[in-house]
Amino acid sequence: MRLLKPLLPALIAIILIVLDARFSYLDNLKRNSTALLSPIYFLVDLPGQMMNWVSDKGSDTEQLISENEQLTNELFELKAKLQIYNNLVLENQKISRLIDASYTLPANAVKLARVKSIAQSRLKRQLVINKGVNDSILASQIVLGANGVVGQIIQSTPFYATVQLTTDPTQHIPVKNVRNGARGITKGLAANKSGMKVEFMPSNADVKLGDIFVTSGIGQSYPAGYPVGEVVEVSAPHDEAFLLIKLHPLEDMNGLEFVLVVSEPL
Amino acid sequence: MIRQRPLVLLFKLALISTLLSAVALPEMIHSATPFWMLIFFTYWLIYAETRAVYTLSLLLGLLLDLLHGNVFGQNALALIASTVFILNVKKSFYVSNLSTQQVYVFVASLIYLLITICVHWIIQGFDFSYLTFLAPLTGSILWPIVHFLLAKLKR
Repeated sequence: MRLLKPLLPALIAIILIVLDARFSYLDNLKRNSTALLSPIYFLVDLPGQMMNWVSDKGSDTEQLISENEQLTNELFELKAKLQIYNNLVLENQKISRLIDASYTLPANAVKLARVKSIAQSRLKRQLVINKGVNDSILASQIVLGANGVVGQIIQSTPFYATVQLTTDPTQHIPVKNVRNGARGITKGLAANKSGMKVEFMPSNADVKLGDIFVTSGIGQSYPAGYPVGEVVEVSAPHDEAFLLIKLHPLEDMNGLEFVLVVSEPL
Repeated sequence: MIRQRPLVLLFKLALISTLLSAVALPEMIHSATPFWMLIFFTYWLIYAETRAVYTLSLLLGLLLDLLHGNVFGQNALALIASTVFILNVKKSFYVSNLSTQQVYVFVASLIYLLITICVHWIIQGFDFSYLTFLAPLTGSILWPIVHFLLAKLKR
């Protein structure tokens, strides 16, 4: 009798696990319930917000002028680079039309979001950002950092959204080698702190250390052309049809402060 | 036994443990942090007399699942299993010294960890940071401090 008492709650928990893992019946319930946890997120993040506020207020005028000058210079440089990029986009569009290709350089609208100091599951690779449904951030949108792909939105509440990082084992991204266009699919390695591997690349594929992999755009889940990672290990195990390729993400996931959410194609 | 109403204390403990478990820490430390909710709930189970403990553990587990973005029910199942163990050793736990209590907390945390990992393994595969295995150890090491602080809170 004593052991029968926990049986019903345990059974409910197991049913919930199956429903959540195998089907999507609980998605709405989870989304709405998570929205109720916003005050907890706010409380946990409060010290971080106060630190940012104090840091902002504490900056003296001289430092701000110096930062402003530096940023203005960087803006000029970026504008110059953007002109080259715009030319490349035009060239790409012309060539695509000529050869009737489906591949075009990406052009997407992005939204800036701040990474919040809120811990997520220790068995997963996730982070929380300060924008949600109220800012048109929706599940399945792509998140970018300054150097490459960060991950994908998996849940969005009115004020916050959860991003699953590219290094999570459940994240699969269609990628291609920048050097020769060889295609594969990345998968995160949680056991290895920040690594990924590229799957389904034949053992005779041309992959070298230092090669950069970018999103290939196949499957339309990720827009094409965004950097994902650099090859740090290549080996061809015996009796295996595919290469063993390890990637190091180009974006430092631990040092992220701001991210860009790719909201929609322009 | 506690002086304030058990459910009021549980609400306070749940709030503190929820906040603690949501605090962002460096990745290595985060993997090895104790299961705060389990530790605080253990304290409540030992020193409070109440009914429907399994329903409460289910609800608290679901709260954690929502907060951490886990599979819905994963922490709930783990918390229910650990609760079964704690209630079985409750009398002994209550009269034991701190070192024996630490052993009980370690075993309860180990049960919790094994169940969360099993669920994770079945659903996503055996791929996670091995530092997670340190969580039961850190939980039992921190138990005397938690016990001391919560003793102040319950008054």
